[in-house]
Amino acid sequence: MNTLLQKIIRSGVGRFRYIVAMLGMGTAVFFILLAVQTHTNFNELLHGKRNENEAADFLVINKQVTSQTLGKKELSTFSPAEIDSLKKQAFAREVGVLNASNFSVSVESYTDALPFYSDAFFESVPDAFIDLKGKENWGWQPGQRDLPVIIPSFFLDLYNTGMAMTQAGLPQLSLDAVMAIPIKVSIRGNGRSQDFVGHVAGTTDRLNSILIPQGFMDWANANYGYRSAQQPARIVLKTLDPSNPALVKYLDDRNWNTNSDKTRLSKVRTIVNWIVGIVGGIGLVMLLFGLMVFSLFIQVTLASCRPDVELLQTLGASPAQLQRFLMRQFMPVNAAIVAVMLVVVVVLQLVLHYTLQRAGMFVPLYISWVTLLAAAATVTVFWVSNRRTIVRFIRS
Amino acid sequence: MPNSLTNRSGTTYPAMNIALHNLVPLPLSDKLGTGPSDVWATNVVFATGQWVKLRAPSGTGKTTLIHCIWQLRSDYTGAVHFDGQDVRSLSATTLSAYRQQRLSVVFQDLRLFGQLTARENIELKRVMSARPLYEPAAIDDMAARLGVSHVLDQQAATCSYGEQQRIAIIRALMQPFEWLLMDEPFSHLDADNARKAAALIAEECTKRQAGLLLTDLDHDDHFTYTRQLNL
Repeated sequence: MNTLLQKIIRSGVGRFRYIVAMLGMGTAVFFILLAVQTHTNFNELLHGKRNENEAADFLVINKQVTSQTLGKKELSTFSPAEIDSLKKQAFAREVGVLNASNFSVSVESYTDALPFYSDAFFESVPDAFIDLKGKENWGWQPGQRDLPVIIPSFFLDLYNTGMAMTQAGLPQLSLDAVMAIPIKVSIRGNGRSQDFVGHVAGTTDRLNSILIPQGFMDWANANYGYRSAQQPARIVLKTLDPSNPALVKYLDDRNWNTNSDKTRLSKVRTIVNWIVGIVGGIGLVMLLFGLMVFSLFIQVTLASCRPDVELLQTLGASPAQLQRFLMRQFMPVNAAIVAVMLVVVVVLQLVLHYTLQRAGMFVPLYISWVTLLAAAATVTVFWVSNRRTIVRFIRS
Repeated sequence: MPNSLTNRSGTTYPAMNIALHNLVPLPLSDKLGTGPSDVWATNVVFATGQWVKLRAPSGTGKTTLIHCIWQLRSDYTGAVHFDGQDVRSLSATTLSAYRQQRLSVVFQDLRLFGQLTARENIELKRVMSARPLYEPAAIDDMAARLGVSHVLDQQAATCSYGEQQRIAIIRALMQPFEWLLMDEPFSHLDADNARKAAALIAEECTKRQAGLLLTDLDHDDHFTYTRQLNL
C-alpha cells in the first residue's frame, strides 16, 4: 500500500525549495550540536584532570584595608561566620586560616659574613596547605630548638636580584645555601623570651607569608602570647577552579582581596561562556526557523496533494494509516539531517582532538554523550513538529 | 437474512441495517413535497441482505442520497443511522472501519486516481485492509470477466469512461462489505457489459450475504431486487 500511496502523494514542491529547507535545518542542527559539544570541550579544558597542572589551586584571601578600616584591626579579621559561609560555597574544597604570631619575633644572623637583623612575624597554616618537598622535616615538638621556616620564593628572588646586586659585599645565595644557613630566632612576650635556631626548610609560591609549623605557633602563642587568640586576618582557600566566576563574584561582593592572578581567567571564561551561549542561542533560533520552514514545506506538500488525500479518506483510508504513511515520508529526511550533522561534529571533534594535542591540551577523541542526547532531542522535536502538522492536516 | 456476519479477521458484527429518519437534504428542501417519495422526509430501513433499487429522474437527489449515506456530506436535516447510530457522530477512525469492512461503493463519478494504473487503483483498495479479502489474482479474474484485462496496466485517466466504470466496480468488490452502494453503475456500459458486471456483482453480494442499494434513472432487471423505491 505504501508504494501506491507514494505514487499518489508525489511532492508538489520544487526541488530547490526542498533543498533550501534541508540546508536551513541542517545548519540549525549543526549549530546546536556544535554549541553543546563546545561547551563540553570547554569544561574538559578547564576541569579535566588531564589539563590540570595541579590538583587544586590555593588562594590567600584577606580583607581590603581602606581609610574606613584604619585603626580598627578587628575589621580586617574574618569572623567564624564568614569562614563557615566560605566553606559552604560550591567552589571551596577546603578553607584554612592563617594563624598570626601573637608575640614579638626577631631574626638575626649568627655569622658576620652575612650580617642581618630584623623584626619579623610568623604565620602558620594546617599542614594540608603546605606544599613542601620533604614534608617529613616539617614540624616541631616542644623542647626542640630547631625551628623550620618556609619563606615566599619571591623573598629569595628579591634578595638575589635586588639586595645582592646593589649592596657591596653581599653574596648571591642559592636555595640550598639559604637552607644551610642557621638563623637566630628570638621570640618575646609576657615578659619572657627564648631563642631558637631557625632554618629555611623551603620556599613557597602558594602562600605569601613566612610560615612556621602549626605546632610551634600553638605552643608559642600559648606561652608568649600577649593576649587571647585573635581572629585570623587571612584565610587560605583550596579550589579546583580559581577562574570560576562565582568565586570571583563572591570575593568582589565582600570586598575581599586575593593575591592570585589566577582569578583573572574568570573574565576569559565568562566571555567564552557567552560565546558558547550565543552559538547555542543562534542554533535554537535557527532550529525554530528551520522547523517553521519544514513545517511549511510539509503543509505545501500536503496541500498540493489534498484532493488525493481526501479521495483516500473517501475510499476508507483511516487517519492512522495516513498519518503513519505521511510521517514515513518526512521523518527519515529529518533523521538523516541530524545524523549527517552528528557525523560532521564527530569529524570536527577528531580534528580538534589532534590539533589541541599538539598544543599540549586535551579534549576527548569522541563527542560527548550530552551531544548525542541533544541530537536525540532534536529528532524528537522534529517528530513532534511533523506529527502536529500532519495530524492537523488530516483533521482538517 | 443473516443476523450477524463474521469478517476475515474473525470479528463478528451484528447484521447491519441502514436507516433513514426524515432525511431531507438542504439543497433539495424546496423541491421536496411536490411529489410522493419513498425515501425523503420519511422513515425507511434497509435491512441486511436486501437488494434495493432506487429509481428517480435526474436532479431528484440520487447521488445526494448515496453521499449522505457514505457521509460525504452532512448538509441535511433528519438522520442516517448505521445500526441505530447516527453516522454524523462516528469518529473518522470508525467511519474508515465501516468503509473498509462493512460498506462499499461505486460512485457515479467513479473517483479513480488518474495517475495510477487501473490495476493499482484496484490494488489500493485490496490492500487497504491489513488482511486483504482476495489474493492479487482475483483482480485479473474479475477484469477478465468484465473485459478490461487489456487496460489493467494502463493509466486510469487514459481509459474510456466505460472501462473506468468497470474498474470502479472491480475496486468496490475487492473488499469485504455488508452493503454495496452503487450510483448509476452501468450508465456507460452497453447492455452486454452491463449484464456481465451485474452478474459479477450479484455473485459477490450473494457470497457475502450482503445487501445492495442501486440508484438508476429507469426500470431495470439487472438484479432480483427485493425492494424497489421511488425517490
